[in-house]
Amino acid sequence: MKRTTLAAMTATLLAGSPAVAQEVTLQFWDNQQTESGLSEVQQAAVGRFMEENPDIAIEVTTIPYPEYQQRLLTAVQGGNAPDIATLDQIWLAAFAEAGAVVDLEDRAEEAGLEREAFFGGAWDSAAYGEGLYGVPFNVDVWQFSFYNKAMLDEAGIDPATLTTFEGLRTAAEAMTGDGKFGVGLFGHKGEDTVVVINSFIFSNGGRVLDESGACALDASEAVEAMSYVQELAEFAPEGILNASSGDMRELFLNGSLGIEFWPALEQPTLQKSDIDWGFVSGTAPEGMTPVGTFGGWNLAVFESSEHQDAAWKFIEFMVREDVNGDVVDLLPANKAAAATFLEANREGPEEIMTHLENAMPRPLSARYLEIAEIQMRLFQDVLSGAEVQQAAEAACDDIDGLS
Amino acid sequence: MTRHDRWLVWLCLAPTVALLSVLMYYPMIGTVIESFHQTSFIDPEPKFAGWALYEKVLSSRDFPEIVRNSLLWTVGVVALQNAIGLGVALLLNVGLRGQGILRALVMLPWVLPGVVAAILWRFMYDPQLGLINSVLLRFGLIENNAAWLADSGTAMAAVIVAAVWKGFPFSTLIFLAALQNVDREQLEAATIDGAGPFRRLVDVILPSIRSVVLVNIVLTTILTFNYFDMVWVLTRGGPQNATHIFPTKIFETGFGQFRFGEAATYGVFSILVLVVLVGLYVLLQRASAERRRTA
Repeated sequence: MKRTTLAAMTATLLAGSPAVAQEVTLQFWDNQQTESGLSEVQQAAVGRFMEENPDIAIEVTTIPYPEYQQRLLTAVQGGNAPDIATLDQIWLAAFAEAGAVVDLEDRAEEAGLEREAFFGGAWDSAAYGEGLYGVPFNVDVWQFSFYNKAMLDEAGIDPATLTTFEGLRTAAEAMTGDGKFGVGLFGHKGEDTVVVINSFIFSNGGRVLDESGACALDASEAVEAMSYVQELAEFAPEGILNASSGDMRELFLNGSLGIEFWPALEQPTLQKSDIDWGFVSGTAPEGMTPVGTFGGWNLAVFESSEHQDAAWKFIEFMVREDVNGDVVDLLPANKAAAATFLEANREGPEEIMTHLENAMPRPLSARYLEIAEIQMRLFQDVLSGAEVQQAAEAACDDIDGLS
Repeated sequence: MTRHDRWLVWLCLAPTVALLSVLMYYPMIGTVIESFHQTSFIDPEPKFAGWALYEKVLSSRDFPEIVRNSLLWTVGVVALQNAIGLGVALLLNVGLRGQGILRALVMLPWVLPGVVAAILWRFMYDPQLGLINSVLLRFGLIENNAAWLADSGTAMAAVIVAAVWKGFPFSTLIFLAALQNVDREQLEAATIDGAGPFRRLVDVILPSIRSVVLVNIVLTTILTFNYFDMVWVLTRGGPQNATHIFPTKIFETGFGQFRFGEAATYGVFSILVLVVLVGLYVLLQRASAERRRTA
């Protein structure tokens, strides 16, 4: 009797009480690529979000870039995925194909989030099949040619000429010698190798995959571009097959490298250095526009999340014009936020915006990582002096043979 | 041993056996099962593939390279590590002054975490800024900077040298312990009979520590075959697959490309090699015990 009364009283109290906020805690995972103190600024932004949404708590986990992919993969496989995470543009298709992330198309449409507000290449990288599996969070483009002004002056080279294939080769040749190197090409087994050589291919009108999804690396535009890169390697430091963009940065910072290839995220490092530097946007044959390779991260909601509505609210907040610029360590994917961010934090904001607008994403394939692996092997062959057409045909056989 | 005692032994062993089964044998059997299934991150539902993955792996361009590299890597590291380890152990056993400090110093590479040691060697091998080229250039041994890790012709030798540096103290430690058990009277008798250092080594010391040497060779072979971090940090298996060995290939296929079935197939080949080596280890241990029993 007593128990029944107590239960009835409890039920009445609960039913009659004013609506108590049901707190939801979301797990948000991101990675850190630079020494920007990203976690602190994200915590501040999260604080702002929680003030605006007192019923949602966010726990941010910032994971170093080299470990991030394995941690995410293991979490998804083990059924412990976070609610929201940043996914590299090149992983998104695989996560979508695996059914690990939610199609956000309807939510984006309802919220008025449109492609026009973001860099087109970044928005496209979040689309897979008929759906939209992420919202662009941050972007950058490979590559800008950062040059050492003193070395260029000494060689009598006008920096503007670096934007053409011929100009870059002439400059690289002129600056090579006496323990110094003209151009910081690199060819280790890493994604930075792929994006840099892709940009030469894109700028020459080539593609990795054609519209039908078949390999296009053996087409004349791609082969010409790779042959050009092979010649350019003559003016690069020894050991490029095991060198990364980070190794080239070391040489650039100690004054023994004339030109290094990096995205705009390199600027904060150079600003802190003693090097007198400048940059131009990529390189293309005379009369053509340099086309960079898009890099960046999209925000995605995991299928396993029990709080997908709250997760979406957080995504909307993170890509808002007044927030996006504060919470990224690359460049904001929201174009308006990017313009403000670049104006305040980067030299040459207009050039960077233009290069971002022209950039192309890497193949949007669920098998991208396998394609990239084949490309790395091809590029190592090319940089080792292999016959380019033959190496490209072998790579295309491998890519087209992926099943 | 009574029946009751036998039960007690098994009871005491049960937690260990259970733990080993869960942590070792279950994943191992799981790997074998997975190698017969097509499964990847994008297609996580396992589909039975029979021998298809084995055929794919065996016919791939990479497989012969990986077998050759694994063989070269394992033989190179084991031979050098044990030869240097024995040499250093002999030196540390002769009663030099400051022997205690020397022994501690020799152990340093071994106690360094693998990734730290690999990063250290990466810096030393750097073509432009590395210590190795700087020294070789100063002594006129090379004319231009050499790209040790970026040249297919030198990369494997370079990673072997780094792994030997990291691993030889382990062999030294084992050999040193064995050397301290060599019968002093036999050594003295050999000296009285006119045997010099070399003859004492060949006729007295090596036969005395023979079983330890053999067991150590098998153990270091197992450890080296599975050694991952040194190669991965130094070259990631490159350039052009020149240093790709089974562990790096398994990691790259599984965690780099999300192809779990294929990674498991490489894993099974790896397990087969290790089963042979472990079998050899068990045989040597038995032979050694038998020798001790009959001595």
